[in-house]
Amino acid sequence: MRKLLAVIKREYVQRVRTKFFVIMTVLGPLMLVIFTIVPGLLFSIKVGGDTRIAIVDQTDGVRVYESIKRSLLRKDRGDENDTGVAGSLNANTTDRAAQVGKTSGGSFQVEQVNAAGRSLDDVRRELNDRIGRDELDGYLVLPPDILRNSESKTSYYGRNVGDVITRGQIEDRLNRAIRRERLVAQGVREQDIEDLSKQVDLVAYSVNEKGQEGAKDTGAGFVMVFVIAFLIYISVLMYGQVVLGAIVEEKETRIAEILFSSLRSSTLMVGKLIGVSLVALTQLGIWTLAFAMLSLYGIGMLASQGVNVGDVVIPQLPGSFFVYFFLFFVLGYFIYASIYVLIGSMVTTAQEGGQLAMPVVFLLVAGLYMAFPVIRAPNSSFAFWVSMLPFFAPITMIVRIVSQTPPLWQIVLSLAIGAGTVVLLLWLASRIYRVGMLMYGKRATIPEVMRWVRQS
Amino acid sequence: MQGEMTNNSATVVIDHITKRFGDFTAVNDLSLAVHGGRIFGLIGPNGAGKTTTIRMIVNITAPDSGRITLFGQQITPELQDRIGYLPEERGLYKKMKVGDQLKFFAELKSVGAKEAEKRVDRWLERLKLTEWKGKKSNDLSKGMQQKIQFITAVIHEPDLLILDEPFSGLDPVNVELLKEIVLDLKSSGKTIIFSTHQMEVAEKICDDICLINRSRKVLEGSIREVKRGFGRNAVGLRLTGGEEVLTDQSLISTVARHSDGLEVLLAAGTSAQQLLSRLVSSGASIEKFEMIEPSLHDIFIQKVTEAV
Repeated sequence: MRKLLAVIKREYVQRVRTKFFVIMTVLGPLMLVIFTIVPGLLFSIKVGGDTRIAIVDQTDGVRVYESIKRSLLRKDRGDENDTGVAGSLNANTTDRAAQVGKTSGGSFQVEQVNAAGRSLDDVRRELNDRIGRDELDGYLVLPPDILRNSESKTSYYGRNVGDVITRGQIEDRLNRAIRRERLVAQGVREQDIEDLSKQVDLVAYSVNEKGQEGAKDTGAGFVMVFVIAFLIYISVLMYGQVVLGAIVEEKETRIAEILFSSLRSSTLMVGKLIGVSLVALTQLGIWTLAFAMLSLYGIGMLASQGVNVGDVVIPQLPGSFFVYFFLFFVLGYFIYASIYVLIGSMVTTAQEGGQLAMPVVFLLVAGLYMAFPVIRAPNSSFAFWVSMLPFFAPITMIVRIVSQTPPLWQIVLSLAIGAGTVVLLLWLASRIYRVGMLMYGKRATIPEVMRWVRQS
Repeated sequence: MQGEMTNNSATVVIDHITKRFGDFTAVNDLSLAVHGGRIFGLIGPNGAGKTTTIRMIVNITAPDSGRITLFGQQITPELQDRIGYLPEERGLYKKMKVGDQLKFFAELKSVGAKEAEKRVDRWLERLKLTEWKGKKSNDLSKGMQQKIQFITAVIHEPDLLILDEPFSGLDPVNVELLKEIVLDLKSSGKTIIFSTHQMEVAEKICDDICLINRSRKVLEGSIREVKRGFGRNAVGLRLTGGEEVLTDQSLISTVARHSDGLEVLLAAGTSAQQLLSRLVSSGASIEKFEMIEPSLHDIFIQKVTEAV
């Protein structure tokens, strides 16, 4: 027991003191933001200037051109081009629309093409040439019967039709303009069209299992669930790799033999795993505390400074969540870390270990991806089964708990299956560790490893 | 120091142990006894089974069959605290400070934190490394690291000290320093197992030896006995003349010529006395005539090549 404590203490103190730990603790939350939000933002940002579009209006009297032009040049709230995660972070919907309008760079330059008696083919040839010379990004060809025939098709020719976001915007705005013109053609007054086609705001309120209504949901809850899933994923991955490094270090530097002559190899292994887990928990604890401080004081302070915090709501998490988070993190950590011990005992260098650990990383990533369908349907049978599988449960079950808490028996069952898996993996890892740590020279093969398991 | 140990009681008794790895037999039916207060040399070529034998003594692995008794008891993990082990494959935590590192190893051997602190300072001073206490082991030279590793083996004052190639790669000054410490430990009653394939070192320092080759014991006993048992009639000579005596096959079987003389092996049935009188009567002028004891090195070579 004293030896176990000595191992835990060394592992903990040596790691908490490192620059890596301090830097990760400070930069971790920042990286979390970068990894979760930036990809969404990046996708919605259009670099480069305005999209230059020409419109070939074949209707009688060129009736729809002006309307489409207005629709394309306008930056209004009806923009369907939602940016998903990034958008929902900002709770204020009007703000959001304005912001998206800016960041999505949905700005166009529109010109009318005067057919002047030429055939459509001639006009298109000329426009294609201009696209080739990069004077134009694309053009729309509106058929003559567009206002009368609801089946008629409009064509878009452009250089970069792969830019689905811009294409979607054009389609959306074109639709609105045509709809409006069709209504006008039917004799509806312009002002009526404006009023009648106003967007409906959907305000969501959560209802819990006891039938109580919660606060207005701003979409921040969704982001929160994702952040939590990501946090478990990244911490388990990062500290699993730390364990791998620690095992390989003792093998590479040949300390293992001295250590094994001083204490049981299983004590050493468990001590290392616990030591590193405490480092991880320390880090997560610091983050939780920082988060709590921010939600308790930070927002109020900003508001008192006159900053308009508007509807920015930090989602409330019940105390039980932190208990579950702790349990499922520890579960995930021990499952993956014992696999990393197993791998570390088989290889001779950290690089080899990294290669062999690739399937393990895939397993973790798979768990993260499964979080998406689970968030959308937390009580589906799919969600149930993936939250029972021990390799995915640490992410999928916590996602279920946060989005729509499942019955307690499911949580307990998931934890029990996980705990059983941990015991099994630790047993296996300790046998491989005991033999593998003293094997130098070459990477062990699978049959060799199986023999170690039987022998020791 | 162990009260129950008299000079002759065996600290380690190995009784017919065998260890196999798959089809390979690393140690085959080995028996030996290591006596208290003496230095026991476990010698043999690379791959003979020395390290495997030692690993079984320190309870890192268990024999497939046979028994090992330490201090008169069946081995248990608790007995590990009474053993100090410097393996041949040894290392330190690269980024850990020397002082912290030594304290950690002492704690693993059940030395209390305060006591460990004191002993670390004492040993660092003795090995002239005090100023390196706060440095990371990465910053130390190889020789210094080796001395630190030596400290990890002795810091808990073990009754049995096992050193596997402790001097390899050390400069002569440090070899002397460590040798002195080993002899000190011996005179304070500790038992030392010394594994090496450097015969010159083993010859100087060991009281008893056991030669193992290809997983089996080949030779065992005190250095005196072993050499006496190996009495081959070698004579060192420096002389002028007497060539006809030296080429007489009935007297001398082989002649080896060195820069400062000859080394001859007497033919069977010839005594050194006979050779000397023949040389004198042949009129040769003799500067040197001495009986040469076989070196451990010669015995080692002969025994190992005999087996092939």
